[in-house]
Formats: sequence, structure tokens, C-alpha cells
Amino acid sequence: MEQFITHWLGSTPAFAIPLALASMGLVLCERAGVLNMGAEGYMSLGAMTAAVLTLTLGNPAIGILCAVLAGATLALVFGFAVVVMRCEQILAGLATMAVGLGIAGVVGRSYVHKSFEGLQPLDLPWLDQLPLVGQLLFHQDILVYLTVLIGFALWFLLEHTRAGLKIRAVGEDPASADVAGVQVQVQQLLAITASGALCGLAGAYLSVASSSIWVDNMVAGRGWIALALVVFARWEPLKALAGAFLFGAIEALLPRLQAIGIPAPIYLMNMLPYLFTIAVLLVAACSGSKKGMEPAALGQPYVRQDRH
Amino acid sequence: MSQGAPLLTLSAIDKSFDIHRVLEGVSFDLAKGEVHALLGENGAGKSTLMNILIGVYSADAGSLTLEGLPLIIGKPSDSARHGIGMVHQHFRLVDRLTPTENLLLAADDHPHLKTRTAARNALLATAREVGFTLNPDCPVGELSVAEKQRAEICKVLALGARILILDEPTAVLTDAEASSMLGAIRRMAESGRSIILITHKLREVVGFSHRVTIMRRGKTVAAGLDTTQLSIEKIASLMMGSSASSVAPSSTPDTTTSSLQPRGPDLLAIAHLHAQRDDGAPALTDVSLRVRAGEILGLAGVGGNGQHELVETLNGIRSASAGSVMIDGADALEFPPNQRRQLGLRVIPADRMATALASDLTIAANLSLTAVVRGRFGRFWLNRRRMEREAKASIEQHDIAGARPHGRMGLLSGGNAQKVLLAREIDSGMKLLLAHSPTRGLDIRASAAVHQRLREAVAQGAACLLVSEDVEEIMALSDRICVISAGKITGELPGDASAADIGRLILGHE
Amino acid sequence: MSNFRLTLERRQQVSTLRSAATYILGLLVGLGCGVLVLLAAGAPASTLMDDLVVQVFFSARGLAQTLTLAVPLIMVGLAALAAMRLRFWNVGIEGQLWLGAIGATLVANNDFGSEALRLPIMLIASALAGAIWIAVPLLLKLKANVNELVVTLLLSNVAYLLLQHLLFGAWKDPVNSFPVSPRFDDNEQLASLGFGNLHSGIYLALAITLLMAVLVQKSRTGFYIDVIGHNRRTALATGIPVTATLTLMILLSGALAGLAGGLIVTGVEHRLTQTIGINTTFSGIVIAFVARFNPLAILPTAIALAGIYNAGSTLKVFYGIPDAIVVLIQGIVLLTLLMVQFFRSYRVSLLRRTPPQTARQIT
Repeated sequence: MEQFITHWLGSTPAFAIPLALASMGLVLCERAGVLNMGAEGYMSLGAMTAAVLTLTLGNPAIGILCAVLAGATLALVFGFAVVVMRCEQILAGLATMAVGLGIAGVVGRSYVHKSFEGLQPLDLPWLDQLPLVGQLLFHQDILVYLTVLIGFALWFLLEHTRAGLKIRAVGEDPASADVAGVQVQVQQLLAITASGALCGLAGAYLSVASSSIWVDNMVAGRGWIALALVVFARWEPLKALAGAFLFGAIEALLPRLQAIGIPAPIYLMNMLPYLFTIAVLLVAACSGSKKGMEPAALGQPYVRQDRH
Repeated sequence: MSQGAPLLTLSAIDKSFDIHRVLEGVSFDLAKGEVHALLGENGAGKSTLMNILIGVYSADAGSLTLEGLPLIIGKPSDSARHGIGMVHQHFRLVDRLTPTENLLLAADDHPHLKTRTAARNALLATAREVGFTLNPDCPVGELSVAEKQRAEICKVLALGARILILDEPTAVLTDAEASSMLGAIRRMAESGRSIILITHKLREVVGFSHRVTIMRRGKTVAAGLDTTQLSIEKIASLMMGSSASSVAPSSTPDTTTSSLQPRGPDLLAIAHLHAQRDDGAPALTDVSLRVRAGEILGLAGVGGNGQHELVETLNGIRSASAGSVMIDGADALEFPPNQRRQLGLRVIPADRMATALASDLTIAANLSLTAVVRGRFGRFWLNRRRMEREAKASIEQHDIAGARPHGRMGLLSGGNAQKVLLAREIDSGMKLLLAHSPTRGLDIRASAAVHQRLREAVAQGAACLLVSEDVEEIMALSDRICVISAGKITGELPGDASAADIGRLILGHE
Repeated sequence: MSNFRLTLERRQQVSTLRSAATYILGLLVGLGCGVLVLLAAGAPASTLMDDLVVQVFFSARGLAQTLTLAVPLIMVGLAALAAMRLRFWNVGIEGQLWLGAIGATLVANNDFGSEALRLPIMLIASALAGAIWIAVPLLLKLKANVNELVVTLLLSNVAYLLLQHLLFGAWKDPVNSFPVSPRFDDNEQLASLGFGNLHSGIYLALAITLLMAVLVQKSRTGFYIDVIGHNRRTALATGIPVTATLTLMILLSGALAGLAGGLIVTGVEHRLTQTIGINTTFSGIVIAFVARFNPLAILPTAIALAGIYNAGSTLKVFYGIPDAIVVLIQGIVLLTLLMVQFFRSYRVSLLRRTPPQTARQIT
């Protein structure tokens, strides 16, 4: 039993990290008032970029870096559409999602199913043999630790810095933020780009760290789960991180149960996170007027010259 | 007050919004240490002019100078850097942040305010200087209106404003709060700051300002007159233009004749009505009103005292928490809007484009909206041809300028849009008309036309509840006057009550 | 610092000409970019016209395949239209489609009803299943004001897991190594028209499009939809039956998506598989948007997109260009169409910061 739990917890980050990175990126973006439906696309693009570059150059670090850049670039296209051109955010997000999926599929076609040496776990001698949490805490690759760090950094940024104050103000009340001298468009573009970068990193984790291969449809809807996770986490980065680990733990449990021969309806069990999120939405909606940290101006384009 | 070169000048400012010209050759100047009142009716262009000064809008033409040097303002932070700050009627504070955080947010050009402690201290120091009490650590959304206003003023002053623009600062305050605010404004001017006071309360102009500039329909009609040389009557006539006599607070012949008519039964009887605001705070407390056939009941009060919620509750789009509403003898409290309309209720809401019309649809669609619901143009299929024919007739009958049945509603001016709404609402089935600020944003001619239609409607036996923040409008039309304050009815007066009596009731509560 | 600044104003008046011109411009730019992408991906320029247009629309085999692909696309386009006209974000069209396919298969597997009525029952079951699947977000929206965007999205994933649960479990065809259900009987399949794979479902799609056009443009409900879609507060305050109209149209949206699933399994696949309906949410939204929410315009738009899908599979076979290119092209077209709306809705003007004569006076 102890070994089961050790391995289960140890394999949880592989499922949790992509969700955590993407949903924290989306939290940042939504706190700036931009509803970003493109995550699935950025993640696909990131996963493909990282895999292709690692395959050709043999260096996962460069692959991951370029995946981050690719995600950020695609997000910038989305940002241009919604912030500068004031496009409807949901539709523009879906369109960039399609562009990302499309590019990943087209460019990555000749690299499908070729395995490579990806990112290796950092083995901390002795510590990783600790019961229960040894594997979880001390037998992971560097991106896992980085993700946790990013979570705390984002929390600190949003809650305790002037930069974060500006982002929050833009998402709550862009007109007031504008009057206070905040450059609304710049803040939104920064937040969108950062969310794209984090989603790109999430994709890179999928291909380079957790599977060491690129296959079509590798992201498989994780971008959408990340989007739901933002609502689940009530727009707070640390709750998104925790939520991602919760969802990841459920996902990680299923192959473990199968491995030890316990028959489990895996597809039905995989529905749990979705149903759980819907329940959370319902509870949040019914619990009165306080809707957590949901940004008041989420999804609304801002035009200063509009007449009131 | 210095008589030297002005501190700030705006000259020959023009501004259009798309096809609408809002400002035309407007000029304004401000001296150091003065309170300069900027007067004008709603829509005269005061707010637009000030928004240009602080960089929210940019002028199409004209120039600005500060201390004799050309002033270039491209965005709000430019004006802040030059020491110009504005306190908007709708406060520019982010509700979920505290006053301290709101100051911190705006501190880009103020290195000494960039930490939370420094911002908090600066806010408290400013508050002490002008004599305010202030909680710097409570989210703005949880503060009262007066507290928000104090927070906003302290924020703007802490950012180094020496020119302070106050947009109708007392409109949302109780009497006591307003006096203390006006006292603080005088103190700020005495300490060397210059104040632009936008208002339409003439008494504040005469009592608290040094000079006055008056705007009408996008133009300056009086620039920088010395307040001591002016009477309230003189200012009123400048503000209203040639038709000033019509706003004199005297009962018009119409009200006297209608008061001779016999009164009919109660078409609206509200008893002990309670309702809540969107945020759950009480909006209406124990409201009871009766409106009889053939009379206009005027409900006066400062905006935001429950009028909006009352109109929505009567319309059926906000649920009451207790009480009863009888329309033409039927208990309508549980009825949806459609059933209330069947009882004869018709509504002219204050925000007509948002809650009564659809600006993207055709004028014909807007004119026939409620008739379609009644099934006039068919139960399943719409007879669109008939709809257009009737719209055309209605446009001609009501003389709606610039309207074609196929034209988009949003292209009509405010006055003509209101004509469309009146043409639709005042129909043969109307028994009770609920009109909320029916002349808001309209010019004098359009307002007179609206008033005429309301009078005609009651002359034909309808009842009308007129909710308005404009005391002159209430006095000109009402047979009886009730006053609402903080969600309560604070008194009833006869239709020929004086402005002073009404004003006492409006402001007396707290 | 520059002497000029850009300002932005929302136009209060947009002429029909400007609307049409920006739309056509956007479509041309989008499709142009799509062609460039195809060339960049390795499609030979010399035969591009042939592959993209002639083969899919002007050859009997190609046209048959294009029309076959168009049938479910018409349905999902209408499903997106029904919801989006009311500003309801149904981004779970795939989920409703899968439920529809499951509903039809459930009837077939259990032989519900007489043999003669089996096929209509299957189609009705698919529509019902789709409607039930969207009833959940609709109910949550109406009763608790829960955002439909996230719920429809999540239920889509749940639907796919349900599909897999059935195909890898109880409904798996024992004689097939793939996760598919047993093949339907002949009376459970839509009649083939003898024109490629084209089946009688196309008549149903055409009829439903016409009905939708009449509903939206001629009926009282259509009038209500316009008012609710443009200004919900006005609709509420003037007594328009908002909840009833919303319920009707959103259930219709789900039913149409479900029927799309039913038509795929009864008309083409003749069994339940896990490869149907992928990306149809996005395609439905693209079709509805490109058709500018006009039901009749859904037909040519869906057929054109079906042509692109059809050409996509040709390109895949001959030049190894993956299917993803079709998604990419749809994304590009939608993005350009969205972006050109900027020039429709806003006026951009370049203003001088300071009138020069003023500056001279002062100095």
C-alpha cells in the first residue's frame, strides 16, 4: 500500500504540471480582463516546437525555450486581435486555438512518433527513497520545481507588487485604471503574452518531459481543462496550482489502479474532474453575490474614446 | 483671488463624436486659488470639456495653456503630471482595491508614493489637511458614496493636484454631507489650489464660487463672470437661454386646469413595498404610493435614492421582498412584465436605449415591439408589411424627424428616440404610465414635447407616476408631489408646493 | 515625441457598403492566406486549383463526397447559429453530436420500435439526446446564472469519455479489433442516393435549413430572437418571453447538433465510432460566423467548408499534408474576418497633438 501511494504521488506531477502551468497562465490573462480560449492551441504549438527542436538539436533546454517563445508569439497574435483590433475575445481565442493546432499538425507531421531523450528527473540521492513523498518531492525534473516556483511568483506578483496591482485594476475596471495612468493595452498584451509563454511551457512539458515523443493531438483537451481550472480556482494562481495537482492526482490514480489489477471504469472516473468543476461552478453561483475573484471586466473590450 | 494671468486656459475647443458635434469653440480660464463654477444643463458639454482637459478625450481643435505655456495632453497621465486632477461623478476607483491601493496604482510618476506604506501615509496626511476622515484599508466597493468621494478627492490631491475638477460633487450627498463637502472645497481653494466645480445647483454657485462659466448646447454663453455680480435668476436665464421663463417655478395653466377635473379610482396602489439593490442592500423601505386616474404624481428626489429600483420593481424586472402592488385593482406583484402591461402599465425608463429600445434593430421593430408581444401582427408568422405600414403612419403622426421604418434605431437623436418610445407606450391600452426622467438628455424643445404628451395622456384619464430628479420638471407637471430619500417616502406635498418646500424634504432626510 | 496621435472611435453609423466591403475583403485575405499556407505546406501550385475547386465541386465523385461531408456541417452550423443569435455560447457542439450518435446507436442496439419506424426513431433519439445534453448548461444558466461557456465545454469532454466508455466496453463490436460498435442493420441506415456516399440525410438537412430560415426571418419567435440577441434588458422589460425563447432555441441548438451525430452514424459510418465529429464545435462556429448568422447562407458556407475538408483528404493522400491544415485554414479565415470588423466598427484618425500656431504665439 505504501509503495502504491509512493508511486501514485510520484507520477502525479506528470499529469499535474501541464495543467498547472497552463491554468496559471490563464489566471494571469483573465485577471487582466482577457478571456483566452486559445490555450489548447498554444500548448499544441509548444509541445510540437519542443519535440521537433529536441529531436533535431538533441538539446531539450533549447527545445523548451523555443516552445515558450512559440507560445508567446501565437498569444501575441491573439493579443493583437483582441487588444488592438478589439475583436470578440471568445471567437478570436477559438481562431488562435485553431491556428496553433493547425501549425502543430502541419509542421510536426514528419516528426510524429519519433522518440528522443527528453528532460531527465533530478535524482536527489537518498532523499528520493523517503516513504510516501520521496518520489513526489525528490524524484522530479527541474520543470516541476520551476512550476511550483512560478505559482508562488505569480501569487506574489498579483498580490504584492505594483505591477500586479495594475494587472488586477485593468481586469476589474479598465476605465478607472486608464484614468490612474495605467496603460491598459500594454498590461493586457503583457498578460496575454505571458499566458502564451506559460502554455507553451506546459506543452513542452508534455512532449519533452513526460513522454519524450511527439504525437498528433498530444494536448488532447488539456487546454480546455486548464480553462475550467481557472474558474475552479476562483482566479487565484496558488489555488490553480493546487487544483492542477488535485486533477493530476485523479488522472494519475487510474493507470496505477489498472497496474495493480483493480478493475476500474477509467473513462467514467476520468469524468470526475469535469463533473467536480461543474459542481464548483454551481456552488459558487449559488453562494451569493460574491463571485470570488472573478474579474469584473472579464471579456469586455476597452475603448477609451467611447462615449459614455 | 489673483487677478493676474490665468493659471489655465482652454480656448476655442471643438469636439465631435462621430457624427455628433458636442463642443463648438468653447473657451474657459481658471485663476490660482479660485473656485470656478462650470454650469450648464445635462448634455451642455461640461463633462466632455473636462474630459478633454484631463486627457480622456482629445479635442478636434483648439488649444490649452498652463501658466502661459502650451499644454499638451494626450492621455490621462499627462494631465496628472501637470497637477490637474478630476473627481468624476462616477468615481474612478477600482472597487475591489482599497483607497491605498488605488493611490498606489496611480503613482507611476510619483516615486515617493510607490510603496504601500508611503501611499497610505500620504492618503492619511491629505485627509487630515482637508479635514476628512478616511479608512484607507477597506475595499472601495464596501464604502458609502460619501466615503468613496472623500477617498477619491484625497487620492487626487495626494497625487499633487493643484487644479481640482469636481463633477457634481454634491449630487449624491445628503444635505449635511454636502455642506461639509462645500466647506472643504473652500478650504482647498484657500490653501492655494484651484477648483473647477461642475454643478447645476444654482445655490452652490452663488454661495461657494468666485466666478462662473455657463455652457449651453456645446457653446460658452458666459465666460468667467464674477459671481458676486450675479443673481440666481440671471444665471438661470443664461443657462436655459431664451426659454428661461418656462422653467420658472410657477404652476402652469395645465396643472391648474387638470386639478379641477374629478379624480378617478386608484390605478396604482403601492403598499409597504420593500426591494433590494443588486448588491443586496435595501433600496426601498416601506414605500406606499397611490396614483389616481387623471393625475400626475411627481416623485422627486436625488438620483440613487431608490428610484431606479422602484421603477424596475413596478415594471416587473426586479422582485420585491415584501409589500403589494395593485395595478387597476389587480394584485400585480407576482406578475411578469407582460401581464402587467395587459393591466395597462406602460413604462418610459430613464435609460431608454438600454431597457426599452433596441438600438441595432429597425425603427419599425422598436415601434411595434410590444404589439408583437400582444400578437397584433400574428401569432406565429409576423405580418412585416403591416408592421412597416403602421410604423410609417406612426412616424408621420408623431412627427419623428429623420425616421424611416427601415432605419436603425440607434441613429435617432435622443429626442426622436424618446418620441418613438412615447408613440409605442402611449397607446389605447394605457392606463398607468410610469415615466422616469423622461426628458433626461433632451433639449428644451424635445422636453416640452414630452411634457405635452404626458399632460395629454392624463387628460384622457390615465394615471401617471413621474419619477424625476429634476425638481422643475416635477413642479411643472405634478398634481401631487411625493419625495423619496434613502428608499423611503419622506413626505407628500400639493402640486403647487414651492421649490424650497420640496428641497427641504429632499435634503432634510438623514 | 511625435506630433501625431492615433485616436479610435466607435462608428455610430455603419453603411451597408462598408459592412459588405470589409466582409468581402476579410474573406479574400483569409482565403488568400489559406492558399499561401497550403503552398508552404507543400501543395504543388500547378494543381492547386484542380485539387481545391475542380476535384471537389466539379467532378461527380468529388461533389458527392463534398455534399456527404456537408450534411453534418450544415447541421452544426445551424446549431451554432441558433445559440449565437441569442448570445449563448454553445462551445459543446461536439458533445451534443456525440450524445446524438450514442442516442441513435442505443436505439439500434436495442431494436427499439418496429423495423419500419426504426430509422425515424433513431434520428429522433439523436436529436433528443443532443437536446438533453445541452439542457444541463441551459438549466444552470437559467436557474443559477452559471456561465454556459465553461459548462458546455466541460460536458463535451464528459460526452467523449462516455463515448469511449461505451466503445471500449459494453458496445464494442466483438468481431472488430477497433473500438467500434456492431454494424447497423440495413433498415437502420439512411438510403444511399447512388451518388458516391451521399445519403438521403441531405434532404433532411436542406429541409431543416429552410425551416430555420422561416423561423428566424418570418416568425414571431424570430422577432423575439432579434430583440433578445441585441438587447436582453429591453426584451425583459417589454414582456418578451425571454426564458421561453431561450429555452426553445438552445434546446433546438442541442437537438440539431445531436441530429448531426445521428446523420453521421446512420448515413455514413453505419456504426458508432470514436472518430466522428472531431472539431465540429469550431467548424460550426466558423460556418455560422462566415454565414453572418443567416440560415440560408449556412448552406453555401457549409458546402464550401466541406469542399475544403474534402480537398484536405486528397492532399493528405497525395502529398502527405495532414488534416490539421483544414483547421489551420479555418482559424486563419475566422481571425481575418474578425480583424477586418475593426475597420467596420471603428474610425481611426490621426490627429496633430498641438496646433502649431498656438505654439508660436506663446514663444
